Amino acid sequence: MDAGILTQQAFNALTIGAMYALIALGYTMVYGIIELINFAHGDVFMVGSFVTLWLLSTFGVQGAINDPPRLTIMLIVMFAFTMTVMGLVGVVIERFAYRPLRNAPRLAPLITAIGVSFILQNIIQVTFSNSPVNVPRVIEPQAGATVQLPQFAVANFQVTASPVTFAYSHIFIIVLAVSLMVALQLFVGRTRLGRAMRSTAIDREAAQLMGVDINTTIALTFFIGSALAGAAGVAWALNYGTTKFDIGFQAGLKSFTAAVLGGIGNTTGAALGGFLIAFIEVFSSQLGYSRWSEAIVFSILILVLVFRPTGLLGQRLAERA
Amino acid sequence: MKPRPLAFIAIVALVAAACGSSSGTQGPKAVKIGVDLPLSGGELPNGDPTIKGVELAIDQNPVAGYTVTINKQDDAVNGIHNPNQGATNIQTLIGDSSVFAVVGPFNSNVAQAEIPKSNSAGLIQCSPANTNPGLTKGTTGADLRKSNPTKIAYVRVATTDDIQGQAGADIAYTVAGAKSAYVVDDTETYGKGLADVFATEFAKLGGTVVGHDGVGANQQSDFTALLTAAKAKNPAFVYFGGVTATGGGLLRKQMVDVGMGSIPFGGGDGISDGSAATASSFLNVAGPQGDVNSYMTVAAIHDIPNAAKFASDYKAKYGTEPGAYSASGYACAQIYLQALAKVGSDREAVRNYVTTTANVFPTVLGNVSFDANGDTTQHIISYYKYDDATKDWKYFEQKDFTSGVTTTAAP
Repeated sequence: MDAGILTQQAFNALTIGAMYALIALGYTMVYGIIELINFAHGDVFMVGSFVTLWLLSTFGVQGAINDPPRLTIMLIVMFAFTMTVMGLVGVVIERFAYRPLRNAPRLAPLITAIGVSFILQNIIQVTFSNSPVNVPRVIEPQAGATVQLPQFAVANFQVTASPVTFAYSHIFIIVLAVSLMVALQLFVGRTRLGRAMRSTAIDREAAQLMGVDINTTIALTFFIGSALAGAAGVAWALNYGTTKFDIGFQAGLKSFTAAVLGGIGNTTGAALGGFLIAFIEVFSSQLGYSRWSEAIVFSILILVLVFRPTGLLGQRLAERA
Repeated sequence: MKPRPLAFIAIVALVAAACGSSSGTQGPKAVKIGVDLPLSGGELPNGDPTIKGVELAIDQNPVAGYTVTINKQDDAVNGIHNPNQGATNIQTLIGDSSVFAVVGPFNSNVAQAEIPKSNSAGLIQCSPANTNPGLTKGTTGADLRKSNPTKIAYVRVATTDDIQGQAGADIAYTVAGAKSAYVVDDTETYGKGLADVFATEFAKLGGTVVGHDGVGANQQSDFTALLTAAKAKNPAFVYFGGVTATGGGLLRKQMVDVGMGSIPFGGGDGISDGSAATASSFLNVAGPQGDVNSYMTVAAIHDIPNAAKFASDYKAKYGTEPGAYSASGYACAQIYLQALAKVGSDREAVRNYVTTTANVFPTVLGNVSFDANGDTTQHIISYYKYDDATKDWKYFEQKDFTSGVTTTAAP
């Protein structure tokens, strides 16, 4: 057994999980408030990665920025800009594709969601490309801290340790994702607007009677969820240095699964589900069963849902937002 | 009402004139070669140089009594070759009665969907690039042509993967000097077939396959976990069975990210799709650090008998160098044009003439004939390595796996 490899893989899983979790939050928030499975959400994430690409090419960035102050400014600009743009896109989608159907049978908004998903994909296909596009990685991808873990033996069982590399870009993505999740928790749990969101989620009519502006609250939910997906899009571009018009489908499906696994409607559950799916995937690869990882992920999903139909944290409904 | 003889005569004259011009008794007969290739998106660098080879062949080899044009079909959907689209395309070509033969497809899983249809219709197909052995050989090959088992309607000028996988193993073991290899495939017909042959042949040469894993379509953007596991096994070579669109370029790019950049990387013709300047090509996606130390094989002859003339003719017409399968596309069309001159444009006559094992076709690839399964009797594989000066693949040798003769590129 090699403790170094396992640590490295756990670190890989945290990076992928951070992206799944950011996307899963949007699914779960929207479901929590209007019980809509927003199938266009994965594509909002995808568009986010293209917005980053556009921004970088506008600034003429070709590759890694090695000057720390400039890099910091660039990262702040990338995230602030992409998250704002995607948040607004989310609000526009809600206004025109979902709000008119808010009281329609539930199948109708589901279909418009699928429609929006295709529209976003087509826009990107036409304006950018329908093949993979390279995005400059502003954080040098090979830069990182290499750590040598101690080697030890338990009885006759030797635990070796190869050096572990913590790439700076991955550390950045994990820290950023966790900070955004904590900020979201605080916002939903501690602020007036957060309380409006929670009350709308529990009972829309009652909240309205109590003076909560439903339309603004739902729009705000879409803004936050889409902005988080935008952040995931930036993280994706930083991590892989490539994007494609259809990445939203696969990442969206995984994140939606994460949201269901964690208990849809529950923001902590979505984050937990995202990390869990990433760990399952990564450790299937570690065991040499990459080709089975989907089957393993979904088998676990089925088992969890059979025994806990509301998902892992689904019962704590009061927390949903 | 009084009849109007003048008007009646005028109509008769018009109809007669219309019939006269459409029957074409005076002019040459218009026939078509159907082409089904991926012609959009990420796979345009595969399909485009190949169809240009077909066009060039038609231009340069006129057949008396016929005007030959192309019925062009694109089997890429959203930028990736699609078997269902291929099946629809071959049906369209079968329905076009002026099509007497088809060049294509490019990808093995598309061929799998098309062969039963062309076989049952008796319309000959010639693939410039399909390399999966199961398309023609053994029980799988027989199963694909079960509607007309004795009437072969699918031939190919590309050598099969059992030879290409052998060549990949030869590169890893002999050229790169690696004694251990890690194998990754994309779980598709072509990729897995090629990777399996590589693994067997590499072991036969005396190397050790330290691991073999596959990545399905839903995961082909993140290979870091797989590569972290692979790195721990210290392979001296990484071989990829698959194409650029199913993750070839990203796999190599992420090898650099996880610190495996110095390990040589090899693949089949699925990663042969143009220079680093070609958008979405393997070298473009793998990036400036990933492209070094990469090898690639093409299941086609590189040192074709009149290579210089072919390249200059191609360049004169299109302004670019020929692609890896331009000459193969040219050869397929050449074979059809020879058949057309000999037996006319009847589909069954053309099919029979092309698949008769005794017939030898002089083509741009040299003399080509097809065995009882429809496979070419030419077993030559070309070897390429990334060249930093041109930022492109550079041919360095080719090997004839029938005779065992290696021809090295002129320095």
